[in-house]
Amino acid sequence: METVTVQCGDRETREINREIRQRIAEGYKEIEIAAPGARHSLGVAILEPVHLTFNGSVGYYCAGLMDGATVTIRGSAGWGLAESMMNGTVIVEGSAGNGAAAAMRGGTVVIQGDASARAGVSMKGGTLLIAGDSGYMTGFMAQKGTIIICGDAGEALADSMYEAAVFVGGKIADLGTDAVIHEPTSEDGAFLRETLGAHGLDADRDWKKIVAGRKLWNFDKHESTWREIL
Amino acid sequence: MCAILGYLDKTGNKAAPIGRTLLRMLIAVGCRGPDSTGVAIFGPDRGGLVLQIKLGEHGDFTARAGELLEQIETFIAVKEHTVTSSYLRAVIDERVDPQHLVQAIEQFDPESIEVVSMGHRLEILKQVGSPQELEETYHISQMVGTHGIAHTRLSTESRVDLSHSQPFWAHGALDVATAHNGHITNYHKLRRIYEQRGVRFYTENDSEIIGIYLRDRMERGESLEEALRASLVDFDGSFCYVAATNDALAYVKDPFGLKPLVVAETDDWVAVATEEIALRQALGDGFRTREPGTRTMQIWPLQAPAVAAV
Repeated sequence: METVTVQCGDRETREINREIRQRIAEGYKEIEIAAPGARHSLGVAILEPVHLTFNGSVGYYCAGLMDGATVTIRGSAGWGLAESMMNGTVIVEGSAGNGAAAAMRGGTVVIQGDASARAGVSMKGGTLLIAGDSGYMTGFMAQKGTIIICGDAGEALADSMYEAAVFVGGKIADLGTDAVIHEPTSEDGAFLRETLGAHGLDADRDWKKIVAGRKLWNFDKHESTWREIL
Repeated sequence: MCAILGYLDKTGNKAAPIGRTLLRMLIAVGCRGPDSTGVAIFGPDRGGLVLQIKLGEHGDFTARAGELLEQIETFIAVKEHTVTSSYLRAVIDERVDPQHLVQAIEQFDPESIEVVSMGHRLEILKQVGSPQELEETYHISQMVGTHGIAHTRLSTESRVDLSHSQPFWAHGALDVATAHNGHITNYHKLRRIYEQRGVRFYTENDSEIIGIYLRDRMERGESLEEALRASLVDFDGSFCYVAATNDALAYVKDPFGLKPLVVAETDDWVAVATEEIALRQALGDGFRTREPGTRTMQIWPLQAPAVAAV
């Protein structure tokens, strides 16, 4: 089947989302959504391996709760892009607002522009790839998964993380609580080349790897850490 | 939740359709603030000072307006006046001390009379209700000028009434208005400081402190830009706010990025909004938007290139 276009016009988000699901049920694999007008919650909870293309900017929570679809956004995205995504691919040609890929569990989110504050907050898996710069407290309390920032990272980077890792190609404004810088391993290097290569980005940068220092992982009130770190 | 909006025409047009643009933006984000709606528009020069005076919260104020007008005319010539719903709009000779005038007017009935805005070009119109209701009552879509800000309110801590609505006039400072989304958490501490200096507060709305703070700093000789920058240090809590004077439009974004704000700029205009949907519905598709970083401010003077965001 060819591509079908969903026209947003003056319609409510709920109606637009219903039509998207209907088209998926009809067997369409390529669905374009025209004039999304930065509406919120577009294309949420899509569980089928279809390709949605939003021809314009989207609002908050676009592609949230997704499992296995591919979403292309030809514009910018608001807050909470692909939040709690299980699997699949989301590509934003513009920039993303706060909390991009919040709590994502798997798959890949690619932001070709910049990410705002708290990108990858509470990530639980998957890869968040930011071609531009990333904002304040990127990777805040990220549990697992990988954040790759090709450009510069804002203040409080990787604050209070668990097992996630952040790679930064540019400058770091400052590190968050319990964030430490390590040398990337050769495996990291291969992973970066492969992941960036898949999205047409240059992996030849001065990569810093940021992980948790693990000083916040266990609480013992007698440890001096707790007097200093907070 | 609230939403804030701002729009400035860069072409030098003194009669740009500011009201119409702000209304379209307001309707797009009206769902964020079901309690109240308001605009602050910088219109054409009236050859005097224009006042928007609140006559009361609800009811027919024709008689009251007449009495108040008589009172005002005992100490200053009124060049023109109209009464629309809760507001008496008056244009007066500008050779008057603004503070004395405000006091004299509000003395008429301190419980309910309030000068909602005063300035050479600033006019604030706000009320309880939706953007559509604001338009029905005050025809804001017909208001023209150079720039303006707007607000739609979800009350979180203080009363829902006209006075507590936004935008706020920085009481006493001609032509300065603000609109805020968020919660200034050190409001009470700051309020005590200003009250000790004799500043009168008109509401219990924390957003009111912003204009009072800006006015204070500008009266001490700071520029708007310096005062906005200082607020990033002195205010605690969550805030995106817009501020406007006769010559400029500005936004401030708090250090934690707790509240959203989106900016778009073309050769012809600059617009800021809590949500991009407002920009798309009012201004179409031919521009990109960006979300400014945390702890930033930016100011656009009328008819000049924007100062770089800090």
